[in-house]
Amino acid sequence: MADLLVADSLSKVYGEGDTATHALKGVSFTLAEGEFASIIGQSGSGKSTLLNMIGLLDTPTSGQVLFDGENTTSLGRKGRARVRNSGLGFVFQFHYLLPEFSVWENLTMPAQIAGRSVTAEEKTRTLETLELLGLKGLEKKNANQLSGGQKQRVAIGRALMNQPKLILADEPTGNLDTRNTATVYELFRTINAELGTSFLIVTHDRAVAQQTDRILEVSDGELVQDVRNDYAVGR
Amino acid sequence: MLSFRIAARFLKSSPGQSALIMAGIAVGIATQIFVGSLITSLQADLIDAAVGSSPHVTLRAEDGGAISTLFAEDAVETEPLISTAVAVRTLSAIYAEGEDSVPLSLTGGDAAGLDTIYKLSDKLTEGSYRLAENDALVGERFADEYGVGAGDQLDLLLPDGSVASYSVSGVFDLGQGTANERFVFVDTASAADALGMSDNECSAVQIQLTDPFASSEVAPRLADAFGVEAVDWQAENEELLSGLAAQSGSSAMIQVFVLVAVALGIASTLAISAVQKTRQIGILKAIGMGDAASGRIFLWQAALLGAGGTLGGIGLGYALIWGFSFAPVPFSVRPEPTFIALSAVIGITVALLSSVIPARSTSRLDPIEVIQNG
Repeated sequence: MADLLVADSLSKVYGEGDTATHALKGVSFTLAEGEFASIIGQSGSGKSTLLNMIGLLDTPTSGQVLFDGENTTSLGRKGRARVRNSGLGFVFQFHYLLPEFSVWENLTMPAQIAGRSVTAEEKTRTLETLELLGLKGLEKKNANQLSGGQKQRVAIGRALMNQPKLILADEPTGNLDTRNTATVYELFRTINAELGTSFLIVTHDRAVAQQTDRILEVSDGELVQDVRNDYAVGR
Repeated sequence: MLSFRIAARFLKSSPGQSALIMAGIAVGIATQIFVGSLITSLQADLIDAAVGSSPHVTLRAEDGGAISTLFAEDAVETEPLISTAVAVRTLSAIYAEGEDSVPLSLTGGDAAGLDTIYKLSDKLTEGSYRLAENDALVGERFADEYGVGAGDQLDLLLPDGSVASYSVSGVFDLGQGTANERFVFVDTASAADALGMSDNECSAVQIQLTDPFASSEVAPRLADAFGVEAVDWQAENEELLSGLAAQSGSSAMIQVFVLVAVALGIASTLAISAVQKTRQIGILKAIGMGDAASGRIFLWQAALLGAGGTLGGIGLGYALIWGFSFAPVPFSVRPEPTFIALSAVIGITVALLSSVIPARSTSRLDPIEVIQNG
């Protein structure tokens, strides 16, 4: 399959001189379209920093990120915002929903940011997403009125709405109980299988990583392992 | 318009905070409207009392002699700012009663013409407005002091030593002590006789303008055009005018301070709101909202707060003006539409300017700051 993402010699240095901290040290890898991969590492290993670089939320000190054939490193703030909106979907440990808005409004926010009025097709897709996420009937509820698991599922739905090619998830089940954790990974798998959306999931939990097809391990800012996991749970 | 919808939702999600800041703007705008209308009405009242019933420009011969009565008509034709011009014959006389005597200033003129300047027909306290041959209108204070009333005979000693007899047709109140004591209006023919003037001669042409403050530019033009002396009311009322200017200055200062207070109120609330909404802005940016659009959220918030507060302020301003109508003061406050429109524009502009700092800090916010810090 074609390369969707190319991380090329990504380095990130915080501070200068003696106090400089090398969070990433020349990390390189590629991710193909439709891949379901994870980045694993101890707390402070640099895995979230790596995800933020790939997600264009942060800029590398050196190296480059090519996403869908476009070199994103040379993009300005406006260009990066465009790629984040149209090509990427984010799921964080904290749901980061907008508490002032309803479930439906939170879900359609990426489309509205893109400047589109929500089309009939998008309405249908939103309803399908609600159904897929087990949130049907909750669309008019305020985001604050949902349980933790429901909020995280809305966040996943929001990440899906602009039909991104890649979903980046940073400890997406860190705040969820075992049952909700299982539900979320089932959902990720379903979306990956049905829509062909690529996933890159950051986790410190090896058991979670075992559910993905490819495991990239980061330690002390370096990519120390990149293995295929043919025994992934739920494949 | 997503920025607008988000701004409206942010305001709606903190109704207490939004209502408080709108109330702050409303009080500021209401104070502006009330103080501005009060000062404007008070000044209009003072100006009307001072010159509303007297000439704004008086044309007279430089040597104190006679000028042509035709100047009145010619002046109206040449100067569009003139609302009325009346040829008058003025002379002094003395009224004596026993050992008491009082110098009087007699103004003779056409009854209708004099009425356009002095509004005498509206200001009669006794008798009727009539200036037929040998009729005279006297002031209220003079009438009270010397027991003269409508229908009484009035004998006046003229400068040439002769005595002119008049019949008092009415008593007026011009609202000024000196005028009510010393002014006497008589018919034009008897004044011409007393002064020895022909029909087309007069002592002065008294002029009123559509705008009293245009006198300083109209007077010199008329002086040049007719080769006469043109007396401008403003030159003779400098103290009143400097008083009005001082009043306007202090009013402007109050309004500037009110505006500064309103601006600081909005700016601080928006700054707090920007901090409160940092997480939301960070999320919106993370999912692709641009810097300009996120900055516009606070611009819209300010515009909505400004518009709501200004509308409330206009209502409150009108209520204050209405409430003032019950106050025991000798003048009424009229809402000034242009001033209200100006206050509304200023209110919204100040609100928008107050949003510049929070809008700028929001547009510079990096989503990673929110994502990393939770």
